[in-house]
Amino acid sequence: MADDKPPQDKPTGAEEPDKPVRFMRQMVSLDYIAHQSPLARRYGAALAEKRVVGQRCPKCSLVYVPLRGFCPLCVVEMTENDEVDVSDHGTITTFTIITPIQYYGQQEREDYTLASILLDGADQTIGQQRLGSIDNSEVRPGIRVKAVWKDDLSGAESGTGGAIEHWEPSGEPDVDPAEFEEHVS
Amino acid sequence: MSLQDIAIVAWAEAPREQPEGTTDSALLIPIISEALEAVGLSRRDVGFWCSGSADYLTGAPFAFVGQLEATGAWPPINESHVEMDGAWALYEAWVRLHHGDIDVACVYAAGRPSAAGDMGEVLGVQLDPYYLQPLWPDHIALAALQADAFMRRTNTNERVLAEVVAAARTVASGDANAVVDGSTDVDELLRAPTVAGPLRAHDAPTFTDGAATIVLATADKAAELTDNPVWIRGIDHRIDAHYPTMRDLSRVHSASVAAEAAGVANAPIELAELSAGFSHQVPMLIEALGLDDNCAVNQSGGSIVADPMMVTGLVRIARAAQAITTGAKKRTLAHAASGPALQQNLVCVLEGGQ
Amino acid sequence: MAGNEWTLEFPYRRSVGPIVGEFLTALRKGELKGARTASGRVIVPALEYDPETGEPVEELVAVADHGTVTSFAWIAEPKRHQPLDRPFAFAHIRLEGADTDLFHLVDAGSEEAMSIGMAVEASWRDERDGSITDIAAFVPTGDA
Repeated sequence: MADDKPPQDKPTGAEEPDKPVRFMRQMVSLDYIAHQSPLARRYGAALAEKRVVGQRCPKCSLVYVPLRGFCPLCVVEMTENDEVDVSDHGTITTFTIITPIQYYGQQEREDYTLASILLDGADQTIGQQRLGSIDNSEVRPGIRVKAVWKDDLSGAESGTGGAIEHWEPSGEPDVDPAEFEEHVS
Repeated sequence: MSLQDIAIVAWAEAPREQPEGTTDSALLIPIISEALEAVGLSRRDVGFWCSGSADYLTGAPFAFVGQLEATGAWPPINESHVEMDGAWALYEAWVRLHHGDIDVACVYAAGRPSAAGDMGEVLGVQLDPYYLQPLWPDHIALAALQADAFMRRTNTNERVLAEVVAAARTVASGDANAVVDGSTDVDELLRAPTVAGPLRAHDAPTFTDGAATIVLATADKAAELTDNPVWIRGIDHRIDAHYPTMRDLSRVHSASVAAEAAGVANAPIELAELSAGFSHQVPMLIEALGLDDNCAVNQSGGSIVADPMMVTGLVRIARAAQAITTGAKKRTLAHAASGPALQQNLVCVLEGGQ
Repeated sequence: MAGNEWTLEFPYRRSVGPIVGEFLTALRKGELKGARTASGRVIVPALEYDPETGEPVEELVAVADHGTVTSFAWIAEPKRHQPLDRPFAFAHIRLEGADTDLFHLVDAGSEEAMSIGMAVEASWRDERDGSITDIAAFVPTGDA
């Protein structure tokens, strides 16, 4: 089980009352207000319709997902006019299997895989995507996957994780990793 | 290293009115383009980038890495970041230009206090965690003890503080980026309740979101780029002890040392743009920097009416430069501050001419 | 449109070092100590260095847990997290035997009860863990 308290392994003055104080605990707890950007709202609205939307740079023609408002390579603005739908099918370019360390605040218990996925029609991978219907040991670059949309899309406005349960193998043949080499760094 | 002349050649500030939920990159992209284009430069002409911001404002670790997208960082660029007001990023860029291998540097800063739940709590995190932070004094409480020390040493009364606020609000009415539109009546201001020691709510900084950028160039390059360079004649920053009683809180000693090193006293200063977030800090800094009665102060109201956290100091430098390019002033000063109760101070002296 | 509120937490465990550690250990015993510098000044709270010279301090010496208020700021409406939920003063307190002021709280009931030079003494918590909040507040002498 994860600790429900901050780390305990170095005793503080209260825990070793007969020894000199060597450690202290400090919890920095700050509140924030997340204001969703107009771009994130439009991206979420498309997800609620089971659409993944990106933007095509008017200068270099690369397609970015999710919406970002500007091409970071050309540093030119991308607007609503530059929006294009991309597929909810794609290819795993890279992945990592995570063994969750049970630190304070950890929600995960079991090993899981996060993957970068290059959606068909996009030039930028979407990162940190959860996989389903496949064992961690079976994951490899080049697997074709498709989105498993949530039944309840009311949380879609918060982004991909609110709309897509996970990604699962689509059954299509693997893609040769040489074809997506430039997306792996 | 040979000390050569470095000039401010362009700058830009983000307008205060922004769409809700705007991002740092969205704030920065247009103003960086605007400043560079004003002197005919593109992003690829910039030899060094330096930025100032604080991740604690939005609670997003490594937020400054995201800001880099505003620079067009591909192919890779030469850049650095300080977890400080952008004025300190300008200092680093000034040092970097002295290396002599590049001729243009671009400095930028962005800050969005609107994402923070309580700025007093966020600023509390900058305090020492052993003796100060567990007692949770906020920035206003610490400034109140500074105000008490200054006011008792100099026999300054609360009316002087109210006059500073009224003056700031009066000049701020002509500034599009100022926030405050409250009373400018000194007696009415004095009727407000105090919130900490001698300070009232209106004596404290008005935090707001913002972004700014300044382009620097070496002397030869500046001559190519503009007929109106603003020369950095001196720049220096110093810091006092952190624990508030380990220094004379009634003075801003580190600002005085920085002013001396920056050569403030070499000739009259006609305008001082001060990062004085609290009203009492205006007369404190005038004293500490050795400014005389002929020196105008904070022509657009300063941090009391608009304090874009982490950007304020860089804005002060831009405003002090602007007064020179418009021909209004010949020699100006910009001041930036960091830490509780003006713990750290940067002073920059600017001049026009060739 | 109001945004979504969320909370960011950073749990730290800090080593306090020998000087701060000795100061905190004294607090746990209900005692106050200062750091004596090469010039003979006694700095409270104990710092590892003399702020005037940057030289290491020489040793920690006992100071009194009472003294006088040298400056204060009355807080009419305490904020979340602050140690008291009723009006109080943040104050600088010159403890007997010290050459610098301690930053802490004074719990005097009302602003009218506060004055520069007033005598105060530490009100210690019964359960102490070796932290600056082992002193609940300073109170007017005789009230503890």
